[in-house]
Amino acid sequence: MKTYKISIWLLVSLIAFMLAMPASSGAKVYKLGLSLAITGPTSDAGNPYAKGVEDYFRYVNDMKLLGNDTIDCTIRDDKYETAITKRNFEEYLDMGIVFYLNYSTGSTLGLKRDFEEVKMPVIPASFHAGNLEDSNYIFLPIASYSAQAIGLAEYVVKNHKGKTPKVALFVHPSAFGRGPVEDVQKAVAAGLGMEIVEVVEHGKDLDNTAMLQRLKSKDVQYVISQTVQSPVAVMLKDASRLGLVAKTFGEKGKITFMGCHYTGGNDLVALAGDAAENYYWTTSYIITSEPGVGTDAQLALAKRYGRDDKFANSHNYANGVMVAQVAAEAIKRAKTRGKEITKEVLYEELLAMNGMNAFYPVTTVGPVTFSKDDHQGVDTLQLYAVENGQFKSVGMPFIPEYTGKIK
Amino acid sequence: MSANRWLATGNYFTTYKEEQRIFFTALDRLICAFFLTALFIWPFFIELDSKDMLVIDNILVAVIAILGLNLVTGFAGLISVGHAAFVGVGAYTVACLSRVIGDQHVLITHAWPLMIMLSGCVGAIFGGIVGLPALRLKHLYLVMATLSFQMIFEWTIGFMNFFNQGQTIFVGRVFWFTGQVGRKEHYLFWYYALLVAVVLCAFAVRNLLRTRHGRCLVAVRDNDRAADAMGMHPGFTKVYAFALAGFFAGIAGAMHAYLYRGVGMESFTLHHSIQYLAMTIVGGLGSLSGSFFGPAAIMMLDLQVEKLAEWAVHFLPPGMNLATALRPLSFGLVIVLFLMFEPRGIANWWRILRSYVKLWPFRY
Repeated sequence: MKTYKISIWLLVSLIAFMLAMPASSGAKVYKLGLSLAITGPTSDAGNPYAKGVEDYFRYVNDMKLLGNDTIDCTIRDDKYETAITKRNFEEYLDMGIVFYLNYSTGSTLGLKRDFEEVKMPVIPASFHAGNLEDSNYIFLPIASYSAQAIGLAEYVVKNHKGKTPKVALFVHPSAFGRGPVEDVQKAVAAGLGMEIVEVVEHGKDLDNTAMLQRLKSKDVQYVISQTVQSPVAVMLKDASRLGLVAKTFGEKGKITFMGCHYTGGNDLVALAGDAAENYYWTTSYIITSEPGVGTDAQLALAKRYGRDDKFANSHNYANGVMVAQVAAEAIKRAKTRGKEITKEVLYEELLAMNGMNAFYPVTTVGPVTFSKDDHQGVDTLQLYAVENGQFKSVGMPFIPEYTGKIK
Repeated sequence: MSANRWLATGNYFTTYKEEQRIFFTALDRLICAFFLTALFIWPFFIELDSKDMLVIDNILVAVIAILGLNLVTGFAGLISVGHAAFVGVGAYTVACLSRVIGDQHVLITHAWPLMIMLSGCVGAIFGGIVGLPALRLKHLYLVMATLSFQMIFEWTIGFMNFFNQGQTIFVGRVFWFTGQVGRKEHYLFWYYALLVAVVLCAFAVRNLLRTRHGRCLVAVRDNDRAADAMGMHPGFTKVYAFALAGFFAGIAGAMHAYLYRGVGMESFTLHHSIQYLAMTIVGGLGSLSGSFFGPAAIMMLDLQVEKLAEWAVHFLPPGMNLATALRPLSFGLVIVLFLMFEPRGIANWWRILRSYVKLWPFRY
């Protein structure tokens, strides 16, 4: 009887020990949060972005890139509303996140004070240069919209033949769109040889005939856009109908259309069709229509988690993967140094991501470098142009010169 | 006098004064006192996280705004589709001062009750001005006048540099007797501040409706010519209805600014005006209790639809973006269903429930 009792106790102890095992194995879960527009305005970009973040963190966990430790990133829809983003952020703080991924320009600007107060490292999907003003904890993943617009303007100046090129800026009526206008104007004042003829803040027009005719009458040869794809697609279709789209860069008597990160990509080609031909676009991300290591990695990741072709080939998917890569890399580096993963430690890791410690994600055309004075990740840009319905690289990656001159 | 001051049964009004009492029986008063006490003490027993407190605070902000909208639309019968702009006027009053004198200025951080009152007054002035067309306009034409105010407001804020072109203008953290209200206690603090404001505003409206001016609102709504013939001034009544609505909206706006510690254009768009109207309709036009039910119902519905859309987006075809449509669809459906089947709103359900309880144990 006594032996039987001892056996029972031993069995109970063993079960208790086994139940306690996972807790004592030392595996940690790092909580992260992402709030973005999965529905509502700009959800066409938000959806693949969310999938990119989700897939990469799943990959990190599945492949045990952090050993037994895992990343638990909660993704919430904010419908592109700052009030909902704020609510999501408060929820994430209650959950004890150590890193936050944000989305829109409006919410990043609106929550800037909160990020400062709680000392939370943040990477938004917005590349608005204004995000960095009076802010220590916001890090842009790639070159700002301002740098992109200046980069495009520099390309115009370098490759235009004839007199001073006349340029119009076509921007979204918000801080997101207006941000680069002042910086391009500053670059012109600093010696960038072009003339800004007009700054057009588009509305929800479904016809741009009048605007295009006006630009034509003012001899505008280049339009640089800083907005989202749909207004650009409307403009390109109208320009095509009017026979205004330049067949080659800078074709005389025609207009060459160009744009920053969120104006381009496969969605633009899908929306504008043939009218998108010869559209010039800049971003720091690799695109899947160009073969390379990054493209292979992106497509393999998307395939691994069963994403369809639309998501797999989206530059916004690459965008999401890249920010997840940066967050995971910061955690990995802190772990390698034997530090406990906290928001303060991850902030320090981001600041140290430069020089020999620069991070090379294969999803971008250059390295990610952050420091105390530089919160823009990838400084390098790549110009792409649509050829036969696909974006193709134009020249080599470059860093705009005038961004430094106007600082 | 009543036979039993605790029961409604068997009590009859013998004077007009009795009919105008806030509480008809001692039981009503006790229930109200109990309910208010519960509202004030529950945070001591139930700890909610910041996100949920923010949701509750938002409902209370909307309640204050709807108290105003119910005055102008429910009681005075003047449809306003620019109410979010009036709330915006209140919010931007604080934001503008914050921009001019600095968001850490003592007026912003210490004299915040004064700022809230000031915002209410500015809202009232704008309300009065926008109400002026009501002297000559009615029905659809008045709707257009209020809509134009909404448009002008959005354009002004969105394009003027002074208003940061609609981007967030920050408002500093406030101080209380215990010092600066920190991040931890921020939402709880504003819960109490909003609750006090809601109670004061609700009693103000209840009292207004007992006065000559309150009865004028209803009389003008029912028949302004008859009201005119009886010696009332319909024009003046309409203007002060708008001014009062602007006052409440201004207070709601200022409290929204302090709650979010910043003001951005996107909280005061036409969509929000429509949402305020929906809250009024769903709650019950022309009823005080409807001003509480409407915001709570619409905001809770919004939260549930948000969750549904977030879940549905994984199953619906991505190209059609159907999940985005769920929110406006459910919102519109609720308004239509209420207009068709319960035009008196949730307040009517409350009235039915109350009359049942009053008569209990008798059926009639």
